[in-house]
Amino acid sequence: METVITSKEKVTVFNKANQVLGIHLEDARITKSYLLVAFIALLLGGFLGLLQGLNRAGVLELPVWLNYYQILTAHGLLLVVVLSAFFTIGYFYAGLSHTLGGLLPKVRKMAWIGFWMKMFGFVLVVIPILMNEASVMYTFYPPMAAHPMFYFGLVFIVLGVWILAAGAFVNVSHWRKNHKGQHLPILAFFATGVFVLLVGATAFVAVEVLFMIIPWSLGWVDTINVMVARTLFWAFGHTAVNIWYLTAVSAWYVIVPKIIGGTRFNDYLTRVVVIALVIMNITGGFHHQIIDPGISLPIKFMHVFMSLAIGFPSLMTAYAMFRVFERTGRRKGGKGALGWLKKLPWGDVRFLSPFIAMAAFAPAGAGGIVQSTNQLNQVVHNTMWIVGHFHLTLGMTVVMTFFGISYWLVPFVSKRVLTPQMNRIGVIQTIIWTMGMVIMATSMHIVGLLGSPRRTSYTTYGEHVAAQAWDPYMIMIGIGATFLLIAVIIQVYAIFNMMFFAPKGETEFPIAEVEAGEFPTPYLTERWGIWVITMLIVVAMAYVLPLTDMIVNAPPGSPPFKTW
Amino acid sequence: MTSFIYGLLLYFFLMIPPVANLVESIMITHMHMQMPFLVIAGFLMGKLFQQRFPLFFKKWNSNGIPGITLFLIIIIYWTIPRTMDEALTVQSVEAFKFLSLPFLAGIPLRDSWSKLSSLGRNMVIVIFMIKYFGMGALYIWWPSQLCNNYLLIDQLTLGWGFITTALCLLFYFIYLFMIDPSDYE
Repeated sequence: METVITSKEKVTVFNKANQVLGIHLEDARITKSYLLVAFIALLLGGFLGLLQGLNRAGVLELPVWLNYYQILTAHGLLLVVVLSAFFTIGYFYAGLSHTLGGLLPKVRKMAWIGFWMKMFGFVLVVIPILMNEASVMYTFYPPMAAHPMFYFGLVFIVLGVWILAAGAFVNVSHWRKNHKGQHLPILAFFATGVFVLLVGATAFVAVEVLFMIIPWSLGWVDTINVMVARTLFWAFGHTAVNIWYLTAVSAWYVIVPKIIGGTRFNDYLTRVVVIALVIMNITGGFHHQIIDPGISLPIKFMHVFMSLAIGFPSLMTAYAMFRVFERTGRRKGGKGALGWLKKLPWGDVRFLSPFIAMAAFAPAGAGGIVQSTNQLNQVVHNTMWIVGHFHLTLGMTVVMTFFGISYWLVPFVSKRVLTPQMNRIGVIQTIIWTMGMVIMATSMHIVGLLGSPRRTSYTTYGEHVAAQAWDPYMIMIGIGATFLLIAVIIQVYAIFNMMFFAPKGETEFPIAEVEAGEFPTPYLTERWGIWVITMLIVVAMAYVLPLTDMIVNAPPGSPPFKTW
Repeated sequence: MTSFIYGLLLYFFLMIPPVANLVESIMITHMHMQMPFLVIAGFLMGKLFQQRFPLFFKKWNSNGIPGITLFLIIIIYWTIPRTMDEALTVQSVEAFKFLSLPFLAGIPLRDSWSKLSSLGRNMVIVIFMIKYFGMGALYIWWPSQLCNNYLLIDQLTLGWGFITTALCLLFYFIYLFMIDPSDYE
């Protein structure tokens, strides 16, 4: 006699097994691979960051065979593209595996194809950088032109991302077919939003690279429309940064409440924040171009609204986080206006690191609003202020959340445990990183206001008095970078220890439950087709006008330049 | 009442002279931003009218078709190039724009959409899709100025605005046909 198990029952059985036995070994291998690459990139990128910091401090002269701009390009790509993307994908694939009852076999295959495609692309990108043929920085703005191999590498990285996004969508679609009428688990919901944005963002850079830069760098066409290329880049670049931010936000909403022993914020509003960030994100790219010529003032003015609109879900998040902290702290007996703060687990690196990351987003977000303003942007645009800003947003808000995640995710996928000793090391690492980043980012902001330019190797401008006034801050930047490299080394040590040497055991994937008696979330939030179409309409509204103007009223265009 | 207040606030915001001047100074924002926002303002205010005058809507718009027909007439009227020109130069036409779009398009749309069958709704989307592709082609390829008040580049931009909006509607339509909600819900 045969026992018939419907596919729905199979999934339920597998779900339970997944909860009890932990992550499937094959799924764990995928996440471990992504995390390893991410943290090796952190080590290399951090080391290159120190070299830059010491160079700008005037204490290290770089050899001719490894110049400042090579290092700057590699540092940006390793940390903004490799660390962030690999961590995000590894984290969300583990999240999909855990919350959706394991990855489908074909999705595993897609994850590996995507992995190797990204790795192959990355090798193609690195070779010309090492040969000093692609010192174009991670923004690769035309008219600076790198070796064509650099751009072919980028194409493979984008193709890898698309395969991974498709894999995530396949898994989500499969789960939904087997759980009709149910809401997607919240972490998988965040993952869906992130992968939708990844596809949307990389579509722009794919157009830029495939149809504009590659023909130009190969000499098939003589000139390039610089404004269009920059606009397409920032539709991607801005969104990429916000994707890493949304990844961090997912941990704040879903993971951190569990770690502090609480429940998560209202499910409906959480999903609204994700949808809002997905719909309004890509168009924020324009605030990176506020001082670009060729975009009329009314357009820049209207785009201030588009940029500030993204601030709204961020403010919702700030409220939500502190609401959860206060509610949990008071339930644990915290009294008075701020007594609940004492009840939070400050000694737990899994909370401390994301908390500092959130706190850093207050000045980082305020700085972002400053930069979205036309007049203020003109003061700071090409200065070290901007470098300070994205070290606060990415280097603290995003990366410190990633660090906090790593202290439970790495043991979870390695079937090991976080020991009290490793937790203590993590707390020390968090403090050193915070000190380093606060020193460095604050100095960068101040010296930027004093006029120190970004993207420039050490120079005294002929011993000019104004440039000499920057020196104390530049030395502080070097000191901050030194702290940061120490923290990087500790973090990478912790990763390897937790992955290969920590005591064996089961670690929980911490996902907080919703508050009891919460009003049910409307099903509308699950209609991703509608949200994607809305996103496309918003993108069309934002881009048709300036792009038509840039193309129709284009200047003659620029030949490629090698400025280094 | 809340949605009425939001609609009213949006309506007043769009009437503020600097706001109206800014969005009307660019052809595409005039047609694809100000006008849809006026319809949205009416759509938001519509609920109160439905509550206050249920018999009127029941009598004149029982199956949603009269309402959606009125909506289509008003919207099509405002995509004619000459009407935009007149709105900028003739005060009474500008007043008609601010009255017709919220009250003769936004409110009927709200009352009709829920009454229409899925076939009716899809037909409205198809009408707009075809119309937007057509208008896009007209504005892009017509060699001379269609509006006295806007330059050719404005016209071209609006044309691409129509094409991209039509493409979004096409994607939505493909989504409707490719995805069967009963597989998921």
